[in-house]
Amino acid sequence: MSKFIRVDMASKAVKIEECPEQYAGLAGRALTSIFVANEVKPTCHPLGKYNKLVFAPGFLTGTSAANSGRLSCGAKSPLTGGIKESNSGGTFAQKMSKMDIKAIVFEGIPEEDKFYVVKVTMDGVTIEEAPAAIIGMGNYEAIKVLQAQYGPKVGVGIVGPAGEMRLTAANISFADPQSNIRSAGRGGLGAVMGSKKIKAVVIDDTGAGAVAIANPEEFKAASKRFTNALTTHPVTGQGLPKYGTNILVNILNEAGGLPTKNFRSGRNEWANNIGGETMAATIEARKGKTTHGCHAGCIIRCSQQYNDKDEKYLTSGFEYETIWALGANACVDDLDAIAYADREFDDVGVDSIEVSVTVGVAMEAGIIPWGDAKAMLELIQEIRKGTPLGRIVGSGAGALGQMYGLTRVPVVKNQAIPAYDPRAVKGVGLTYATTPMGADHTAGYAVATNILKVGGFVDPLGKAGQVELSRNLQIATAAVDSTGMCLFIAFAILDIADGFNALVEMINARYNLALTGDDVVALGKTILKAERGFNQQAGFTNAHDRLPEFFEEKCAPHDVTWDFTDAEIDEVFNF
Amino acid sequence: MPAMIELRAFMGLADTFRERNWDNPKTVAVTGEMTGEEFLAMLDLSPDAVEVFFVNGKAFTPDLAVVTGGDRVALAPQGVPGPYRVLLGFKKMG
Repeated sequence: MSKFIRVDMASKAVKIEECPEQYAGLAGRALTSIFVANEVKPTCHPLGKYNKLVFAPGFLTGTSAANSGRLSCGAKSPLTGGIKESNSGGTFAQKMSKMDIKAIVFEGIPEEDKFYVVKVTMDGVTIEEAPAAIIGMGNYEAIKVLQAQYGPKVGVGIVGPAGEMRLTAANISFADPQSNIRSAGRGGLGAVMGSKKIKAVVIDDTGAGAVAIANPEEFKAASKRFTNALTTHPVTGQGLPKYGTNILVNILNEAGGLPTKNFRSGRNEWANNIGGETMAATIEARKGKTTHGCHAGCIIRCSQQYNDKDEKYLTSGFEYETIWALGANACVDDLDAIAYADREFDDVGVDSIEVSVTVGVAMEAGIIPWGDAKAMLELIQEIRKGTPLGRIVGSGAGALGQMYGLTRVPVVKNQAIPAYDPRAVKGVGLTYATTPMGADHTAGYAVATNILKVGGFVDPLGKAGQVELSRNLQIATAAVDSTGMCLFIAFAILDIADGFNALVEMINARYNLALTGDDVVALGKTILKAERGFNQQAGFTNAHDRLPEFFEEKCAPHDVTWDFTDAEIDEVFNF
Repeated sequence: MPAMIELRAFMGLADTFRERNWDNPKTVAVTGEMTGEEFLAMLDLSPDAVEVFFVNGKAFTPDLAVVTGGDRVALAPQGVPGPYRVLLGFKKMG
């Protein structure tokens, strides 16, 4: 039977038990969110002793299913004050599944001021004092130190200096197959891990077997169909491997939805300088890699290796949202400068979306000039130094906006709004407003024609059909986040219905179930209701499902405004 | 009397423009209104190579696009990630 591990950092007691029945049929986001809803006091302080941090792989993680290596991390968020699930690639999740570990829960807070490494092996779990050398060290080097000490192939989950400082934009970073960094970025879960004095969790699957499959032949057949959907679709088979998610800069700019200068416009004249086409050409010229998988079994390979001018590795997982936030929203027309910033985000351990948006707010406040790449990098480097300004920047856009008395602060539930202007892409605006996660584009991401029931084309500038679209996207996403699948599989299953059917059939074959597409939809609804219920008990009301007032201003080039009424917004969660 | 369209190409179509030694953006002269399919034929681009026309910032499939002088036009091939194809109106749902 699957193991359920509880690590109490106060007493240092470890309990390894059979997975409780109430969680046995759950995985990924379904497990983390329902666990947090059940076991975390909604009104607790997120950095206090009553919060719990939980790691859970998805239903299909560790199997041979393509793109199934995601790990869900859950807790009460210190950034939003609500429930949080943030997921990541890397090697950690697959090792958990191979070791038949359903979840690892970290509870309590030590009295002593020491950081620890939690080590998970087939023999059990130990809690050891963290090597002094890695305290305050950047993640890239710290992962090397830990893999030198515990073995080159161990999985590592770690908080950087930002997590040690319990900054609310701190993330949890996970080593990828090349010991570079992937992150559970959003919502400040690194601060929760730091509050429990866990510098790192190391997982060694030596001695673990393969993940058990109830019906291997059926699994293999469904997996083959699923893989075929991903490899033959032009997005997952061609577009993403070549350009990554940064493909979207020019597309959103053309659609008038690329927020520029802290959401003053939806278009700018320099977008192509920071766009995916320019990035791909730069990578090729510098002998980097335009394609790279963040975990074993990834066949979309949307990540990349971006080299500096001397052809040395600079960063990977160089995503559209980070490039947008610094390149368009903060007007830094310099892809190399943005790449250095991206590396610093990974190394110091902060959410690259949250802090990039914060940079734009810092420019709004007059702390640094618009578009000043050098000042941008220096500001971000303040986080590592732990200066008062660095701590504010590392606490996110809402915190900085509050410190400087600003109203033009793009956040919902105190989480920074990402890279799609809600006035020009209204469906995503409804998701920002209503998701229990705080503003998050990935909360409304999964699409499948047999789930989405909105008829015809939905005009991005109009209101018709958007409530249903946002609702159905959020439901489908919650379900896909539970599978351990990368959300980008949604790009293919939108068009290839058999890809979605094959996904459900793989779950059925893995566990000997008979789920249907309707069951998947029902799971998504259950997750969202649990998350929203937690938030309501934490004090959230419909009034928190609103965008900042400045979105009532017109946004060029379409001169559109955010014009949903409160009643219309509240319909999204009427299911 | 011809009028000018400002034309951009994205992703693999940008490579096509480069191979043809075309500027990107490129200025294209048109006379009157043209359908998307007529416009692509004039450029000697296959309709299969283009999923969406952006005409003044709004997305249209080639069979529904209409362009005229003074428009800002962009061509996107297959390969734009799925949620955005729905949210930006590329993809008909239901």
